[in-house]
Amino acid sequence: MAAVKATGGRGASALWDFLMLGAKAFVSGLGVALVLGFAAVVLASHAEAATTVTLKDPRAGELLLRTDAAGRYAVAPTVETEVAIQVTGIVARTKVTQAFQNPGSEFVEGIYVFPLPEKAAVDHLSMQVGPRLIEGEVREKEEARRTYEAAKSQGRKAALVEQQRPNLFTNSVAHIGPGETVRVTIEYQQSLAYDDGQYRLRFPLAATPRYVPAVAKVNAIDGEVAAPDAQDAPILSPAYAVASVGGPVNPVDIAVIIDAGVPIANVTSSYHEAALQKAGDGRVGVTLVKEQEEADHDFELTWTLAGGATPQGAIFRERVGSAEYGLLMLVPPQPDAVQKAAASAIPRETILVIDTSGSMDGASIAQARAAVTQALDSLTPRDRFNVVEFNSILRPYSSVPLPAAQGNVAAAKQWVAGLRAGGGTEMEPALAFALGGSSPAGYLKQVVFMTDGGVSNEDALFSLIAAKLGNARLFTVGIGSAPNTHFMTKAAEFGRGTFTYIGDVHEVQQKMGALFAKIEAPVLQDVAITWPDGSPVETFPARIPDLYLGEPVVVSAKAASLAGTVIVSGRRGNEPWSVALTPSAAQSGVGALWARAKIASLMDELVRGADPATVRPSVVQVALEHHLVSAYTSLVAVDVTPTGPSFVKTAMVKSALPRGYGNNAGILPQTATESTLELLLGLFALAAAALVAVIGWRSA
Amino acid sequence: MSARRKAWGAIALALALAGAAELAAAGWIHAKAWLAQRLIAAAWQVGRVDAQAPRPWPGADIRPIARLTVPARGVELYVLEDASMRSLAYGPAHVSGTALPAHRGNAVVVAHRDTHFDFLRNLELDDVIDVEDGRGAAAQYRVREVQVVDQAETRVLDPTDASQLTLITCWPFDAVQPGTRLRYVVVAQRVA
Repeated sequence: MAAVKATGGRGASALWDFLMLGAKAFVSGLGVALVLGFAAVVLASHAEAATTVTLKDPRAGELLLRTDAAGRYAVAPTVETEVAIQVTGIVARTKVTQAFQNPGSEFVEGIYVFPLPEKAAVDHLSMQVGPRLIEGEVREKEEARRTYEAAKSQGRKAALVEQQRPNLFTNSVAHIGPGETVRVTIEYQQSLAYDDGQYRLRFPLAATPRYVPAVAKVNAIDGEVAAPDAQDAPILSPAYAVASVGGPVNPVDIAVIIDAGVPIANVTSSYHEAALQKAGDGRVGVTLVKEQEEADHDFELTWTLAGGATPQGAIFRERVGSAEYGLLMLVPPQPDAVQKAAASAIPRETILVIDTSGSMDGASIAQARAAVTQALDSLTPRDRFNVVEFNSILRPYSSVPLPAAQGNVAAAKQWVAGLRAGGGTEMEPALAFALGGSSPAGYLKQVVFMTDGGVSNEDALFSLIAAKLGNARLFTVGIGSAPNTHFMTKAAEFGRGTFTYIGDVHEVQQKMGALFAKIEAPVLQDVAITWPDGSPVETFPARIPDLYLGEPVVVSAKAASLAGTVIVSGRRGNEPWSVALTPSAAQSGVGALWARAKIASLMDELVRGADPATVRPSVVQVALEHHLVSAYTSLVAVDVTPTGPSFVKTAMVKSALPRGYGNNAGILPQTATESTLELLLGLFALAAAALVAVIGWRSA
Repeated sequence: MSARRKAWGAIALALALAGAAELAAAGWIHAKAWLAQRLIAAAWQVGRVDAQAPRPWPGADIRPIARLTVPARGVELYVLEDASMRSLAYGPAHVSGTALPAHRGNAVVVAHRDTHFDFLRNLELDDVIDVEDGRGAAAQYRVREVQVVDQAETRVLDPTDASQLTLITCWPFDAVQPGTRLRYVVVAQRVA
């Protein structure tokens, strides 16, 4: 090149100047292009969330739908939830109103996945469209689905509430018009939890993403589609949105009115800031302080009876049709020092199982480690213990339980401190290992299972527990902001133990302490109930479990008449014990609670190997009679007048991720290559090479 | 002066080589994607005559299970067994556990948004997709709906009573980096 300049002579200098001008223009153009290209690469690396936002709307974390017009995107509907809970005695009736808003410019179908308490009896659905209120009806699941789909294809508004799991429901709303809001209200009953002197009311706000074990997928082969309403049917995973930017994903407002019938005290909202108002008649109102609370952490409210009183026991009644339903609650008196000492003299073999799967990542694993350490501290030298960690694989601390000598415990604690979360949740081998093996004679075997219960093969696990339990007891400890309480409550029920929930790392010490104090010895065993006038009574649970300190007997009953005295008897230590109760005032919702308990019991039979063909009609009959949503029945509401086109786009409304939850739920495959990025980088490098060559030339 | 110039030249050369390497890598991805499909097409034709498909190329560890065509868009693709990162380099792949293409249920096929499933962005409602499997079973699907969903939305893989074909790829199509959170889902209903 230098040679060209040298031999070009004077005549060529004009041409040379022209060429240089061109080169300069090229270089400056290149510079601009480089800066732009570099900016594009840098911006693109800041996640694609930004890409979708710049498409249309500055708010992040929204689900966009492609519209027919190129480059235009509709925003998926958002849901606002209002929760009104009325507590009467020990029954809570909850009204959940979900307002589906469609901020987009075309008709969409909204599907919202949401959790409810595991014993919720959902019995009411209504849909508000403008001034009209459409009441829902309970139908068999397939029929309800057909009714909904038919309405959808005719361009009519419809709402459908389906049970995915006993504690996980979906609400589908068809034909939400542009800029329109459709309000859907569902109502359910639940009985309050009572434990250790405290009444507890929980409203789950976030659903834990479920881990579906690899083996569970093989049942869907060609032509052989697994029954969609079976318990192990594939679960809908809510589309989680990480609310890093903008306001709450799905805001929730909660108001509770407690009418306990007697004065109450120590009303506490465990995880949310709440305000308290006391009315003159003893009623207490609770509302959230931050009006729109994010739906990523369960709401829990606890209270006690005023003056440290413990409830003595009561029977609530309701007459529905020709039958009378009852709900019995009784708290056994506390044991005295002598009884306690005698009970705690029995040595224990404690197996601590800790879930270290990916869903435990974040605060959950820290809580679990603290809980296990606390459990190890509570052991006495004559006890035996083992610690088991599981995720995709099973890793026991020791192959057999060890004596709880000082050195063993200290080494185990060190091992626990090194546990990290990652991988799947293969719970089956862990349960089998913990429940297997035989403890020495005279030992009380207790398995403490710490997990967030993020599994989908629940029924297989229940069968395993039922089959392998033997004389052992299984205690489940729920960890994290949104543990699968249905799974853990049921697992403890099959394991004849109890379920403890730890929502906050600061609660670990207190809750684990209470659990270990409790399970040192049962307070009451062989509990039996004698009903009045000898008429046949159908009760749930049919067999009452051992009662530990602070636990009540809660029984649902159905009979022709429940008027008269009921006697509850049992054994405290080695002494017989009994108490007589007379029914108190009528209370609505008792019938629905009985029906819900009956359905749960029928579904449990399925787990124990009963034929689905015989269980299903029984469940459907009870559910239809009591207007309840179940695995086989759904609530559906259909508007009479068509309001939209017959083609709609489906939008999954995002659920907020449970707090402290990493971003690693089951996901669809990644389907993009590095080619675009490499192409850009390649062009960038070539352009830079050209630039360097030119600069080198100029400087030479 | 000469040393300085050499230094500049060396830097320029290094950059040019790096750029060429990146371009080659990008080109290789597309070349592999294209070539593999052509080789599979040849093997598929032979397989139809011999009833025993030969390997598309020596040492290939992939197996085509269906041929997917969209006449209106001039698309012809061979769907591979079992979606994995490696099989996706060679073609669209079937998500194991879902129904087989041209059979009852929800058949799910995924592919890269920048190679084989690039055409999905142009697919419109009521477009017709033809599928035939290795044993000659054929089905025709019609595009019923298009959704953009979050990657956690695994419900699109769920079994269905009716026969449908679900095509999934990453979204947005023009994102520079791989690893986006959203997926573009095309659901086609079986019509014949």
